[in-house]
Amino acid sequence: MSDKEEREISRIKEVESTNLARDDIRELVIETKKAVEKDNDLLANKIHRSFLDNNIKSFDIVGAIGAGKTALLEKIAEKLTAKFRMLVICGDITTRVDADRIEKYNAETIQINTGRECALNAYHIHQIIKNKDLQNYDVIFIENVGNLICPSEFVLGTDKRIIVVSITEGEWVVEKHPMLFKMSDIAVINKIDLKERLGTNVEKMIADAKNINPEIEVITTSAKTGENIDKLLELMGF
Amino acid sequence: MKEELTKIEEIIANPNEIKISNIQELMEALFAKLKNRVDNYIGDYPTFIEPVYLEENVKIGDDVLLGPNVYIGANSEIPNYVEISNTIIFDNVKIGENFKLENCIVAKNSSFNFKNLNMKNSVLIGAANLKTELQNIGF
Repeated sequence: MSDKEEREISRIKEVESTNLARDDIRELVIETKKAVEKDNDLLANKIHRSFLDNNIKSFDIVGAIGAGKTALLEKIAEKLTAKFRMLVICGDITTRVDADRIEKYNAETIQINTGRECALNAYHIHQIIKNKDLQNYDVIFIENVGNLICPSEFVLGTDKRIIVVSITEGEWVVEKHPMLFKMSDIAVINKIDLKERLGTNVEKMIADAKNINPEIEVITTSAKTGENIDKLLELMGF
Repeated sequence: MKEELTKIEEIIANPNEIKISNIQELMEALFAKLKNRVDNYIGDYPTFIEPVYLEENVKIGDDVLLGPNVYIGANSEIPNYVEISNTIIFDNVKIGENFKLENCIVAKNSSFNFKNLNMKNSVLIGAANLKTELQNIGF
C-alpha cells in the first residue's frame, strides 16, 4: 500500500470513529453546547451593563471579508474621534492590519487574533474590558471576524449590531444570510459607488433585509467616497 | 522590557521578598511596554488578545487562549486547552494541559507535569509532577 493510500485509510478511520463517538456522547455534546450559549449570553449581559454604567455607546460590526467594515470604521473614526474617546476591538484570524488602519484616525485599538475561530465571543470581550478603565471611553466598536455565518452564534453585549454587506457580494447575499440580518439593528449596504458599473439590484437587497427583519434600519453607503456616512452616524445616535 | 524582566527575576529568586516587593507594578510596566505587540504563531493557530509577546522557539498547542498581557520566554511550551492572561512565563518552562493562569509569573526552567490548574496572583516555581507538589507564592 502506498503512503498516500495509508494516509487516506487512516483519515477515513478517524472520521468514522468520530461519528461513532458522536452517538455515544450526543446528549453530553448538546448539554455542553447549551451551557456555552447560556454562559455567553450571561457574560454579554454583564458586558452591556458595564458599558451602560459608564455611559458608553457600543456597536458590534459584522460582515463578510472585504465588505468594507474596516473602511467604514476608518471613516467613522475620522469623524468621531474629534469629539469622542473611541476604542475599537478588532477581530481577525491573524495580523493587526485592520487595527493599524483604524489607529491612524486616533482611535485606541485592541487586536484579537482568533486563529481558527470564526467569530468573537463575549468571553474575548470580557477579557479585554476587565483590564480597561471604561471611564476612559465614550464609544466602543467591536469589529467581528469577517464572515456572515459564525457571528450569529454569539452576542457580544453591545447596544447595537451593525451588519455590513457590499454590492460586490451580489444581490442575493442578504436572502442567503438571514440569521445575521434578523439579529442586527442596522444593515449597511456598502460600495454603492459601484452601483452603475455592477448593475446590482440594490432595491432587492433592501427589500430582502426588511422582509427578514422589519425593524432593521437599512442604509446604502460608500466608505470610499464618504456617501451617507453622516446618515449612518445619525442612525447610530450621533 | 528587559529591565522589568530582570528585576522580576531577581525578586522571585528570593521567594520571601515576593509579597513585600513591587512585583505587580513591574508587571504592569512591562505590559504597558508591550502595548500593541501581537506575535504570530504558525501552528495550531491559537487565539491571541494583544499584547502577546513570544520569544524564540515557543511551542503552543491547540485550543489555547493567550492574552491580554502575556510574555512567554524562549523554548517554553504551552500545551492544549491553556488559558493565560496578565502573566509572565520565563524561559524553558513547561506547563500542563488545561492550565488557567491569571496574573501569574512562572519562573524559568519550571516544569509542571500534571493537567488542570486554575491559579491567580501567584508566582509558580520549580518542578512538580502533581498539583500537591506545586510551589506557589501568592502576591
